[in-house]
Amino acid sequence: MRRVVLYERFERFWHWAQALIIITMMLTGFEIRGILGLHLFGFQRAVTVHNALAVALVTLIVFAIFWHVTTGEWRQYIPTRKFLREMVAFYLTGIFKGASHPVKKHRMAKLNPLQRLAYLGFKVLIIPVQITTGALYYFYPNLQHAFGWSPSALWFIAVVHVLGAFGLVAFLIGHVYLTTTGHTPLTNIKAMITGWEDLPDDEYFDENP
Amino acid sequence: MPHPPRKPSPPRMRRILQFLVGLLVLVPLTVHAQETAAPAPSGHGSFTAAHAAKARTQTADHSKFKILQGPFKDGDGPAVTKACLTCHTKAAQQVMATSHWTWNVAKDGNDGYGKSTFLVNNYCLTIIGGNTEGCTRCHAGYGFKDKSFDFNQQENVDCLVCHDTTGDYEKERAGMPNPAVPLADVAQKVGSPTLKNCGACHFFGGGANATKHGDLDDTILKAPRTEDVHMSKQGAGMDCVDCHTSDSHKVGGPNYVIPADRREQPKFPGESVSRMSCAACHTDAPHKSYVLNRHYQKVACQTCHIPAFARGERPTNTFWDWATSGRLKDGRPYEEKDANGWPTYTSMRGKMVWERNVKPSYIWYNGNLKFTRLTDTLPASRPVVLNPAEGSYTDPNAKIWPFKFHEATQPYDPVLNKLVAPFTDGPPGSGAYWGDWKMDIAVKKGMDTAGLPYSGQFDYLRTTMLWPITHMVAPKEQALTCTECHARKGRLAAVPGFYLIGRDRGTGVDFIGFAVIILTILGVGIHGVIRYLHGRH
Repeated sequence: MRRVVLYERFERFWHWAQALIIITMMLTGFEIRGILGLHLFGFQRAVTVHNALAVALVTLIVFAIFWHVTTGEWRQYIPTRKFLREMVAFYLTGIFKGASHPVKKHRMAKLNPLQRLAYLGFKVLIIPVQITTGALYYFYPNLQHAFGWSPSALWFIAVVHVLGAFGLVAFLIGHVYLTTTGHTPLTNIKAMITGWEDLPDDEYFDENP
Repeated sequence: MPHPPRKPSPPRMRRILQFLVGLLVLVPLTVHAQETAAPAPSGHGSFTAAHAAKARTQTADHSKFKILQGPFKDGDGPAVTKACLTCHTKAAQQVMATSHWTWNVAKDGNDGYGKSTFLVNNYCLTIIGGNTEGCTRCHAGYGFKDKSFDFNQQENVDCLVCHDTTGDYEKERAGMPNPAVPLADVAQKVGSPTLKNCGACHFFGGGANATKHGDLDDTILKAPRTEDVHMSKQGAGMDCVDCHTSDSHKVGGPNYVIPADRREQPKFPGESVSRMSCAACHTDAPHKSYVLNRHYQKVACQTCHIPAFARGERPTNTFWDWATSGRLKDGRPYEEKDANGWPTYTSMRGKMVWERNVKPSYIWYNGNLKFTRLTDTLPASRPVVLNPAEGSYTDPNAKIWPFKFHEATQPYDPVLNKLVAPFTDGPPGSGAYWGDWKMDIAVKKGMDTAGLPYSGQFDYLRTTMLWPITHMVAPKEQALTCTECHARKGRLAAVPGFYLIGRDRGTGVDFIGFAVIILTILGVGIHGVIRYLHGRH
């Protein structure tokens, strides 16, 4: 075993900042919609916070994209079928029997095939849909005015935005749960906080033997 | 050569420095103190100043004019008008071109939208069934008794009702001055119309104080700022004519023709025309918040800034039940009053409901109310809205606007399906409703006088009338908060045609969302439990 920095400082900042922003946007968003009679911020402040955080999130994502491109870390998210079947089998049965994880983590391949799919979907589907519908929502009065959009366009935008939000909540629940499937329940979260994780020695990948 | 060690600044220098610093601090403080020490009444500073300056705008002292010294015969209003016209040669002609004189307005090329013609409301109904003389107390003229009135007699224009500044002027039947009015004194003290001049009629629409409009009554004269930020003396102290500006005696803002807010902007600050919209003074982006400002596109300022109407001490009439009128006790008319002294029943009018602090109703409105005339056939739908508002979400000129909905029952002709004009105001034996208490005779007489066809049958019809609310603007602290409308059952619950966040959420969409979340929780829960059980063994 050896300790490596699995998550760079920026990566960790990006992850936790994004988590904070998204969770706050969920709470404010659900308050605005009036779900469960949520009353945390007050409607007007909830709207202000939600809109401000939207700008913050987009800014953060711009930096994150720059980081992914310049560091080459984007390759971590290239989907693969390799070990996909094994991963599914692991979560469905192996994990209960104490089987070892079918995919070895490595600095250059820290995501298993299921993670790759999930996070790629998160990055190229859910987040863009939320940002797009959010922007359309915010600028709807202008768009309606400029293009004569029908009132039902706003309804459609809102429905997609809300379904995306529910999807994000489900993602968050699953994501948090799966962090507990590491070596110990807190291993993964600790790694995401400190950056360090103990990885098994691996000759095939080892760049510094 | 080495620098000498820095010397501490000499006491004199230090004192100068201290003085300069002190000056820097003090000057703004004293300037500020002077500003606040100036006699600045609370409220809107600039407009209060404009108000105070108004007295100076007159360039003539009317008491210096010989022709106004009189003496005038008691109650001889036309003689005063003749005197006015010797200098203001065009004034009467100007007034005669306005609806204050004609009581008739053409709308979309059709004539007959006015009291003197076929317009009908659901308060006192209409004047042309023989009630003219009593109602023309509020006509800007002298001698309007019936339809024989000559609308071309210049000396019959009443200058004083609008320009009296003494408060001593008073009109009686047919609009003639009360004989006790000191006409010469009033004539020498004329000036620009104030709240009292306009209020003499407009506060009393519907026959009594506060009855008709709901946002206009005489409590405004002594109102605290909370009742009306503009007209209260504690507020901006504005007069009606500060917004209802006029051109050649044509006063801006008649409800019958002018769209209420056409997003008009002054072309330069203080421009005297088109102050008929809030934006003319406040701009169309008066809030700090961009999101709030954008409400302007679809929401009238009044909607948020007039949380309730009839906020003074006087209640406004919200229901008037002609169908129950005419009951007599021992052959005599009577009144019943509630604990506050407001009539709940009068033989003259029937059951009545009076309300204070009324939440408005909200509808789309582009400024056009489609009024019903006596000559118009009624729509098939019941109850009949006498003046439905035009507008919808897709109408670029329409906004959500607050209204007083006035409910009533009133007589109509079920055969011709038209409203009728009963003769109400007359002595016993004249056939008038308030003399003889027979509606069938009163309607017959009234329709004869009006020269309108009548089948001979009448019945009572449930009607609604819409009164746009625009006065009694509250201080900004009392403006509606978001969730008054952005809520499931908020104030806009019934306003159709658009998606409103916080109000509209398809329960189906939320159901799908919650189903996804619950399934996820179940999934990870079961997974976790199995893991836990396996781990223990």
